[in-house]
Amino acid sequence: MELDSERHENRLCLHAAGEMTIYSAAELKPTILAALEQSDEVDIDLSEVSEVDTSGVQLLMLMKREALAAGKGLTLSGHSPAVLEVFELLGLGSWFGDPQVLPAGVARRVA
Amino acid sequence: MSLDLGDALQTFFAESRSLLQEMEEGLLRLETAPDDAEAVNAVFRAAHTIKGSSGLFGLDDIVAFTHKAESVLDRVRNGELALNEGLIGLFLGCRDHIERLLDITADGTEMDADTRHQGEALAAQLGQCMGPAALPAETEAPLQSLGGGRMAGDTWHISLRFGRDVLKNGMDPLSFIRYLGTLGEIAHLTTLDDALPAAAAMDPECCYLGFEIRLRSEADKARIEGVFEFVRDDCQLHILPPGSRVADYIELIEMLPENNSRLGEILVACGAVTQRELDESLALQACENAREEAPQPLGEILVGRQIVQPELVDAALTKQKEVRLRQTQEARFIRVHADKLDELINLVGELVIAGAGATLLAQRQGNGAMQEASALVSRLVEEIRGGALRLRMVPIGETFSRFQRVVRDVSKELGKDIELVVTGAETELDKSVVEKIGDPLTHLVRNSMDHGIESAEVRASRGKPAKGKLRLNAYHDSGSIVIEVGDDGGGLNRDRILGKAIERGIVGANQSLSDREIYNLIFEAGFSTADQVSNLSGRGVGMDVVRRNIEALRGTVELDSTPGEGTTVRIRLPLTLAIIDGFLVGVGDSAYVVPLEMVLECVELSDVDRQALALRAYVNLRGEVLPFVRLRDHFEVDGHGTRRENIVVVHYAGHKAGLVVDQLMGEFQTVIKPLGKMFSKVKGISGSTILGTGDVALILDVPSLVQQAAAREAGLNREAGQSGPADRATASVQ
Amino acid sequence: MAKTILIVDDSASVRQVVGLTLKGAGYDVVDAVDGKDALSKLDGRKLHLVISDVNMPNMDGISFVKEMKAKPAYKFIPVIMLTTEGSEAKKRDGQMAGAKAWVVKPFQPAQMLDAVSKLILP
Repeated sequence: MELDSERHENRLCLHAAGEMTIYSAAELKPTILAALEQSDEVDIDLSEVSEVDTSGVQLLMLMKREALAAGKGLTLSGHSPAVLEVFELLGLGSWFGDPQVLPAGVARRVA
Repeated sequence: MSLDLGDALQTFFAESRSLLQEMEEGLLRLETAPDDAEAVNAVFRAAHTIKGSSGLFGLDDIVAFTHKAESVLDRVRNGELALNEGLIGLFLGCRDHIERLLDITADGTEMDADTRHQGEALAAQLGQCMGPAALPAETEAPLQSLGGGRMAGDTWHISLRFGRDVLKNGMDPLSFIRYLGTLGEIAHLTTLDDALPAAAAMDPECCYLGFEIRLRSEADKARIEGVFEFVRDDCQLHILPPGSRVADYIELIEMLPENNSRLGEILVACGAVTQRELDESLALQACENAREEAPQPLGEILVGRQIVQPELVDAALTKQKEVRLRQTQEARFIRVHADKLDELINLVGELVIAGAGATLLAQRQGNGAMQEASALVSRLVEEIRGGALRLRMVPIGETFSRFQRVVRDVSKELGKDIELVVTGAETELDKSVVEKIGDPLTHLVRNSMDHGIESAEVRASRGKPAKGKLRLNAYHDSGSIVIEVGDDGGGLNRDRILGKAIERGIVGANQSLSDREIYNLIFEAGFSTADQVSNLSGRGVGMDVVRRNIEALRGTVELDSTPGEGTTVRIRLPLTLAIIDGFLVGVGDSAYVVPLEMVLECVELSDVDRQALALRAYVNLRGEVLPFVRLRDHFEVDGHGTRRENIVVVHYAGHKAGLVVDQLMGEFQTVIKPLGKMFSKVKGISGSTILGTGDVALILDVPSLVQQAAAREAGLNREAGQSGPADRATASVQ
Repeated sequence: MAKTILIVDDSASVRQVVGLTLKGAGYDVVDAVDGKDALSKLDGRKLHLVISDVNMPNMDGISFVKEMKAKPAYKFIPVIMLTTEGSEAKKRDGQMAGAKAWVVKPFQPAQMLDAVSKLILP
């Protein structure tokens, strides 16, 4: 898992790449929490996430909840196919409330 | 299963026969030494493995009989049953019976009455050995389904709360849900984060999520429950069958950890119950609860969480096992004469060539089955080759540790205090290379101690610790082994080396050289730097001899030095001298082999690039300057160039270059044949090999080609620089 | 990318049948003949699942799983232990070592495939 950050004024963009799994969870948690602490607006670009498991989903959920509680903005963008598959499975698309671009071939489930 | 298990079945017969052999040997050994635990284990293991494998093939007769024998053996193994002559006789009888059962299966015949009676008699005897306790059940008791018959509709409701540790145990809830999806259709799923604690308290490796799932499926309850078999101890699982009553859902709500009204909302949202039903039932429930205390029995199973009691480990047993393990490990080494290994490697080399020939023939004939067979043979040959070469790999540590003594003795002799630090001792390389590297290493070590590390007084005046440090390090890098000899001495004297080199005519007086180039001059023939010839290293054997020795092993040597901080000599050697993975390329009618580990990529040359090649000595590789060598020109291959050319990008020791060739012919296992003496002066070739067709291909000496390409590029650039900077500018526009 | 499974069993026919079954279902398969051999296969390659017999020469399945779980890169790999019905104690040892899933020997290829699919789909 690699996480690059890029700052645009008070908006922080995090680019996550690689496997967002239990192997990287312990490392990832403090990094993203710190990012959230430093900015009012955080965007996580998930376009290069190759794999995500429950621990990864859970961390994203934690982030979203923390952001809401602190009155900050957290958006997820560029959901990679791996992320989309998991969000679809767990019905999390609307939970996060970010626009998701579904690639051709991934049918939207009628909730 | 539509698998073709024919081959596997043959493996099973062969394996079982050899296990029966072991079983017999073990039993005979036990006749004289009934306490031999290892023999008991071997006999048990044989029965155990035969039973396990025969189950795979559905050979129920063998499974059933072997199971009985195994159970009695298990009692012997656990010390519950003493082994005596009678029992050994019984086991031998069982062994013979299993063999007969195998024969019957292999022949595809029916079991005759005789064999059947024999089996029954043996089974009865085994039964007596089990004592009053009955044989353990063959399979787990079927899951009890208390849910009653299926009712109308086919939508199940599943409530899942995972335990904290599932993720740590390698179980991903997502996998179970995905699998659940294969049993039908997940109509609705709500993920619950209610148990997710505050950020500070949340352990990212724990699982906090829960799921409410609506599953449309024809599967029965046991099957659905089976999905969660492996996390049964680690999760709360509630399953409501299709057509469950509203009251059942109310019960469910009561049992789940989350807030009731929130759960109610979720159940309504996922369509399990309607809002009206929920409200009415909740009201009713409240009344009932007021009247009677005990809630009604549930209409579904709640899978109980079983707490596993850790079993106490019998310390004596563990210790016994360790001793046995050590004994077996000791017996695992065999000493083999090195000549035998060499002979084997030679044969494998021939096999590789012959195999390539067969593959080629198969391809030409276009016979699919033949090609498949030869592909399998090639794969196996490849594995044998790897295995044979690994036999000769030894860690370099042994060689390194010899230097502890050398360093100790030499530092005494020189009156210097020097410590040897060894790293990478476990790095492996070919035994034949190890043997030949000793001398050059000794020379380098002595040289560092003698000339590199300063005397204690000088070190003190330079503010360094009085104790000098000599480092030996080894590691693997792109198919080579790198051995470093480093010291923390004074470093090389750049000006003195340059002065000497000019004086001896090795370089021209006005040639401009980088520091690194100057340092590496000490490897040139006829160069000796030490002002005073010391007893140790200045005995006429110069660094040029070291370089020659290393080059003879198809290696290279280079040197880094920082004034005042020390010098590191880096030797790079191929891992093996016998066989390499090669990449076959063609120029005209000739074939050449590039060692595969040095190949980075292959790129087709565009026409624009090809025209530009005539003008400059580099190509533009995605904006990067890449020097190149055109093999057609280098080896003066006759004939005109083909319509297409490709560039093979190779790297060596941090440098990249392109080799321009006509054709790319693919990977090829290359058995290295040394070149005759008369070819030793040919630049750019390190050996030859024989192709499957019987043709000879030359193995390219990539290090020297890379160097040459770099030199040529530098040369042309200098010319370009003299004739005006415009040339370079236009060329790099590509 | 296909998921990779390591099969550890001293029986060649078990390795062969399980290997065929899993490959047929679309998994990649690596095999090892005992715990020692299996440890040598943990050379940095990515594994998604381990299937290990318990009773093996040189190093048994439980010791192997313990050693594997001590390696950071392999710490969270799911393990299916091949147990015998009589070995409840072994099953507990296995669970303590971190092998939470098991398949009871003797098993049919389809049973194995089913167990594997619960943990990872190809």
